Amino acid sequence: MQYTSVESEGFEPRVGMYEEDLKKFNWNLLILQTVLFGIGIWNLISASGTQDKAFGLYKTQLIWFALGLCMTAIVLLLHYSLLSRVAYIIYFSNLILLVLVLVLGKSSLGAKRWIGFGSLRIQPSEFMKISMVICMAKYFENDRTVGGYGFRDLILPGLLVAVPVGLIILQPDLGTALILVFTFCSMMLFLGVRTRTLAMIGLCGVLAAPIIYKFGLKDYQRQRLISFIDPSADVRGANYNRRQSQVAIGSGQIMGKGYKKGTQSQLNFLPEHHTDFIFAVFSEEHGFIGCLILLAIYLVFLSQGLSVSYTSNDKFAMLVSLGICLIYFWHIFVNMAMVMGLLPVVGVPLPFLSYGGSALITAMLGVAVLTNIANKKLMF
Amino acid sequence: MSFLGQEQQVREYQHRFKYLNVGLAIAFTLLLIQLLNLQVLQGDSLRSASEENRIKRVKIPAPRGMIFDRTGRLLLDNRPAFDLEVIPQYLKESKLIDETVTTISKITKMPTQDILKILNRAKGQPAYLPVKLKTDLSRDEVAELKSWQIAMPGVSVEMEIKRTNVYGDLASHMLGYIGEVNSTELPVLQKNSARRYKLGDSIGKFGLEQKMEHVLRGEDGEEWVEVDALGRRKLEKYRGRFIAESQGKKANPGKNLTLTVDQDLQKAAADAFGDKVGSVVAIDPNTGEILAMVSRPSFDPTEFSRGIPSSLWQSLLANENKPLRDKTIMDHYSPGSVFKTVTAVAGLQERVIDENTKFHCSGSLRLGNRVYHCWKKEGHGEVDVINALTKSCDVFFYRLAQKLKSVDDIATWALHLGLGRKTDINLPRETSGLIPTEAWKKRRFNQEWTAGETLSVAIGQGYVLTTALQLANTYASIANGGTFYRPFLIKKINTVDGELEKEFQPEVLDQTRLDPKTYELIKKGLWGVVNHPNGTAYAQRLPGMNFVGKTGTVQVISLAANKIYQKCENMKFRQRHHGMFAGFAPMDNPKIAVAVIAEHACHGSSGAAPIARAVIKTYLEKYFPDQYGPKALSEKGVNPNQSLQIKGVEDEDVVPGIQNSSMMDDEQDQPPEPQIKKPEE
Repeated sequence: MQYTSVESEGFEPRVGMYEEDLKKFNWNLLILQTVLFGIGIWNLISASGTQDKAFGLYKTQLIWFALGLCMTAIVLLLHYSLLSRVAYIIYFSNLILLVLVLVLGKSSLGAKRWIGFGSLRIQPSEFMKISMVICMAKYFENDRTVGGYGFRDLILPGLLVAVPVGLIILQPDLGTALILVFTFCSMMLFLGVRTRTLAMIGLCGVLAAPIIYKFGLKDYQRQRLISFIDPSADVRGANYNRRQSQVAIGSGQIMGKGYKKGTQSQLNFLPEHHTDFIFAVFSEEHGFIGCLILLAIYLVFLSQGLSVSYTSNDKFAMLVSLGICLIYFWHIFVNMAMVMGLLPVVGVPLPFLSYGGSALITAMLGVAVLTNIANKKLMF
Repeated sequence: MSFLGQEQQVREYQHRFKYLNVGLAIAFTLLLIQLLNLQVLQGDSLRSASEENRIKRVKIPAPRGMIFDRTGRLLLDNRPAFDLEVIPQYLKESKLIDETVTTISKITKMPTQDILKILNRAKGQPAYLPVKLKTDLSRDEVAELKSWQIAMPGVSVEMEIKRTNVYGDLASHMLGYIGEVNSTELPVLQKNSARRYKLGDSIGKFGLEQKMEHVLRGEDGEEWVEVDALGRRKLEKYRGRFIAESQGKKANPGKNLTLTVDQDLQKAAADAFGDKVGSVVAIDPNTGEILAMVSRPSFDPTEFSRGIPSSLWQSLLANENKPLRDKTIMDHYSPGSVFKTVTAVAGLQERVIDENTKFHCSGSLRLGNRVYHCWKKEGHGEVDVINALTKSCDVFFYRLAQKLKSVDDIATWALHLGLGRKTDINLPRETSGLIPTEAWKKRRFNQEWTAGETLSVAIGQGYVLTTALQLANTYASIANGGTFYRPFLIKKINTVDGELEKEFQPEVLDQTRLDPKTYELIKKGLWGVVNHPNGTAYAQRLPGMNFVGKTGTVQVISLAANKIYQKCENMKFRQRHHGMFAGFAPMDNPKIAVAVIAEHACHGSSGAAPIARAVIKTYLEKYFPDQYGPKALSEKGVNPNQSLQIKGVEDEDVVPGIQNSSMMDDEQDQPPEPQIKKPEE
């Protein structure tokens, strides 16, 4: 078998698409993405239909989607191996953006997460997820270690993740930071870590937890944690959101209350119902049946993503697509588990359903990269 | 580093995807289980939790009953008051703050700075709570604001019910006022009433509003409304979607009262009072119906109904003429000479005197080592009971008292006629007054009664204390020949549909038929007071109406002997004598009995009697025009409007050297607080 390494052979990636490319073009992820986004907009119209601050937000979301499609087109025209060349450039420019956010970011709800370019507001921490995955893929691309990584091997990649995570925690945006950490950890587990190292890191984590709790968390974050462990502690305060969200989901029962008839969201009992708690709006109005369908679509989407990773023939492509899949997975799992009350409240959006431009663009870029990998792997 | 190496590595990694698939399956199963748990297992209970969230029970306040006078004129009404409110959040969202404020300022003539100041002060509270910009808008302002409303989001005109005393400060003490129930009243109400009260409810705090709370108060209704998370009521058009219309309960308005008082009489009394301080009570001697009941100075309870400005409340409290006290029943006074009629009744009924009994008045009477004076230094000479009443001779009554077995004889008759006890009129805070007996003094001071004290009591001084209402009762009892009717204010109770719920009938509290001779003599004596040229109130006679009565002048502070005869008008206002008058008319078939207390008016004759005269004249002219109307009287050849000021009439004065218990009694309880607005910065 003669595989060509894009790197070592000085292979010039082709630009543009050819007719035969189109014939066997893998549309699956793009179609699934469009279906999910369609559900998202439909649901967002309901969630922002009442007289609240979210009124008319779906229009903005549509604009972001159009922008995302343009970027998808650009990504599809290039070859993914380009990413490998500019991996560190992407990573460090994103890091600079994160620093800029802290210096001159716009604040919303007490957190500095945005920087504005004119009327455009972007959230660099969202893009950091993909940047980090690309950076990791690049870092491990040419590494041939067998038998798992030891502690010393993990120091540098650990640092590459710790710096952005630290910057994001400073914003503070615990949700995004957690997604980064989860994605990194699951990637490392996939790549293989020695059992002894794993045990040691685990031990350190247990020991560090109280210190992080004491010094690393903000007051409101501690509140959420306490209320999660003891739901009766503060029904009106920190636990209120969790309770209202569970009421919303549960009151949907099997068939749901009907489109635009979810009282929990329509009457504002549901907090943040157009962003982090969007799933509660959906499950209140469409019930268990609706949720089953949505979960199934997400599952198909993830497995399609994983199959791209599985069938990719070089390590960089495999790691990048795997990382992107893991990002989606953690978003979906953490968000749903949080909304259902299985996890403490952390701000993690649900891909394609939650309102938010940067998150949508990131999710779409992920699909674009995956589709790119799916369609360029057989080219020589 | 070889290509093969990467390929092998990729192969090896591909084996690991099965773990990923397992992880994915576990995660999604977990989510599925929780979904099943919430939506299927807990579905029912969480559905009802979501219902409880959004459906709130809202009170529909029931209007309080209205109060009418005996002729059906509305005295106490529920009138709409319009307030201008702004919801800051909508104002902010509309981005039209400047335009809106300018428009409001133009319509209401409030300076823009004031409006902005109020809005700024409200910044501490949640922005969705309405802020009151102006209360009691005029009709024009309401109309103009309504026409501008579309252009001003967040601005609204809200209606509230204002308990309105139609005649301003007239009859305010009798009608009373309402206020927010406070934490000390609440437990009492909850225990004693079948109705449910809670903090924030308005209840009657004074007067009929308080006493008849159980009748005037309606039953609040309730409705189920859909609210959002902020408690804001959902708009009407959204509601049908969620709510079954049939739920809820209508509000049941309170019952209406028709009083026994006549508004014209009230007005005549208040007009006659002018800016004098005191009270007047007029009673129908044949039933006990109260025809007029006025206490001055007064207040306007309308200002209380939606929260009284703190400054106004403080000024009412600080006013030394006590506008918040109902002087007809809450304050008791030494009756002075007005009481002599009772002493005369006691003397005649106990048969220690008769029409032939004459005593010599030399201006004073010595008892032991003390001298008891008559108000007239040079004395009245020989006087019989009729003359004694007419001229208000003190010595006659001293001598009469000395002939009685004890002061208890006076007390017995005073009680029979209506003094010294509460009448249980339909008003709260009635005081019982005081008619002393030997036993009472023993109990109260653990001292023996002295003969001198009996002399003081005989002329209505010493321990004797009476209210205006009691004096009116007493003269009503005398007028009808000895029957003491319970005074009552409420003629009937009607439901809001006009159905008669209860009608009140006269109730006899004490029946002691006076001897016809006693009755005749007393009436003659009282006739002389007003109608004999030597009478103390001759200037106030009503020709053709046979108005009779008795004056009294009561010292309010002990004065040094050299000051006692100085001219009352030259003294400081609060040291001047009280003027008293009680009487009835017409003499031969009494229709109305009146008692007047004019604080610090110096004389009973010129200070109090004119008020009684005005009330009696108004009443007889209105209700018996055939006999006493101007036409009827001029046919009889009398002109009731002739000038009555006749020079040279003796004006009774205070009796030197006697202390009254009213001088010592200065403890007064605070009036109950209505709802008071927070003082403005």
